[in-house]
Amino acid sequence: MGALGKPIILMVGMYAFLKFVLPNIPGSAPLPSSLIFLYLLLTASGIVIFETLSGESKDAFWGPIQRFLTGENIGGLQALRYGVFILFPLLVGWQTYGSTAVSDLPPTESRTIHPAPPGEYTGLSNPVPKTPENIMQGKGFYAAYCSPCHGGNFDGKGPAARGYIPAPANFADPTTIAMLQESYLFWRIKKGGVGLPIEGAPWKSAMPRWEVELPDEWIWKIIMGEYDGAHQSPRTWE
Amino acid sequence: MKPANQIIGMFLRSGIGVLTAIVVGGATLSFAQESVSVRATLMTGGVPVDDPNAAAWSSAPPATFPMSPQVHWQNRIQEVTVKDVIVRALHDGKQVAVLVEYADPTQDPDDAAALEFMVGDKKAHFAHGQPMLQVEGGPVNIWFWKNKAGKAVDMNAKGFGTLKSQEHQDVKAKAVYSNGTWKVVFSRDLATGHADEDVQITPGQFINIAFAVWDGRKDGAGDLVEKGSQKAVSSWWYFRADAPPDYSGYMYAAIAAALALGFQFVLIRKLKKGQSA
Repeated sequence: MGALGKPIILMVGMYAFLKFVLPNIPGSAPLPSSLIFLYLLLTASGIVIFETLSGESKDAFWGPIQRFLTGENIGGLQALRYGVFILFPLLVGWQTYGSTAVSDLPPTESRTIHPAPPGEYTGLSNPVPKTPENIMQGKGFYAAYCSPCHGGNFDGKGPAARGYIPAPANFADPTTIAMLQESYLFWRIKKGGVGLPIEGAPWKSAMPRWEVELPDEWIWKIIMGEYDGAHQSPRTWE
Repeated sequence: MKPANQIIGMFLRSGIGVLTAIVVGGATLSFAQESVSVRATLMTGGVPVDDPNAAAWSSAPPATFPMSPQVHWQNRIQEVTVKDVIVRALHDGKQVAVLVEYADPTQDPDDAAALEFMVGDKKAHFAHGQPMLQVEGGPVNIWFWKNKAGKAVDMNAKGFGTLKSQEHQDVKAKAVYSNGTWKVVFSRDLATGHADEDVQITPGQFINIAFAVWDGRKDGAGDLVEKGSQKAVSSWWYFRADAPPDYSGYMYAAIAAALALGFQFVLIRKLKKGQSA
């Protein structure tokens, strides 16, 4: 079986590399099983092409396989041969069952966390002067209207947050308000969850439509208080 | 001898089968499921619509969902009694029953609970089907039970302030209170004749469900603390009634295994012939 040893080691090594080594290389990620399968298929094709380049290597490669399959003069491997013949149909059956079975998982719904705002809410600048008094007033409004869900620590963990999916935004997280402009926050606070476009799944968001309850000036002050309290700065074009 | 490329082809195909089996099998083993949906188990012999303590409920897997005080609508509340609901469901192909269980320290006449569903294909906001600004939403169907009424009301809403009772009352409810726990069974036929008002439950299909609970306790002045939109609510979750058992997967698997077995025989016979020739 000498000619078969190397290809088998190569296939096993390739699988181990793709499955266990590659995901641990910095900047990499686990490969989807379909991609691993494709790479192994390419490896196998390469081996077959390489081994059948000359008549000599072809015989050395196929000979042992043929002998194993036909069971001639393989002695102790006879048991393994029957094992392969039993296991192969079972694996095919198992795989067929797995690919035809109905999923028990609910449909996956993708939701865009920061969808594009309507045109009139892009590029607005905060009309309220950034004074310590205004920031403090904004924090006061935040405590009264926003903190029950977004949390006294601006971390999205307010006492009312637990049942809401999507969870209230965590402003201390650098991927929320730190990468947004004040104009964007103004839109989201004013129009609330029901103001989201379809890709934002508005039917799921508990965010109130604050324009019904709060004047614009208060909303601009709340935005100031949020950035200050969460130790973040709005994204700018500079 | 058999043409070599033909044999190579056969060998490759069998190899692909084994590889696929290993890779796909490995992938499906790594799934973990969270409690995101209510599964109505299929049973025979009539669902226990009048008995929240029936033995049949033990065959339905429980799902737990967190509750929040309602904050979306301006008549909001900051704190509510009920923090979680445990939900089970059963169906027999004709009727469906949903058992909602939750802790409430006191039994009050105004204790109440409700289920909410989207109606038809349009998405509806979880807060009473509130109108959305950029998406045309649909109505919600609400099944409401109140302790002192002792029955369910079948309702519709398309936004706060639009709640109204239906002409056709199809929903029943039966509740029992013991040891600080409410158990409320809502029941209805899976399908009704009014698809524009009622949620239609088709076995095998996922639909959306949400929950609401009111603790009917009163404050020092004798006023209800939780009432109207001041209640405990959940987000949208999933609900599915089990489809009748489907054995076709086993059949396909058996056919595939038989084909693989046949392929082996043919391959070996050809190889043996090739060797002797």
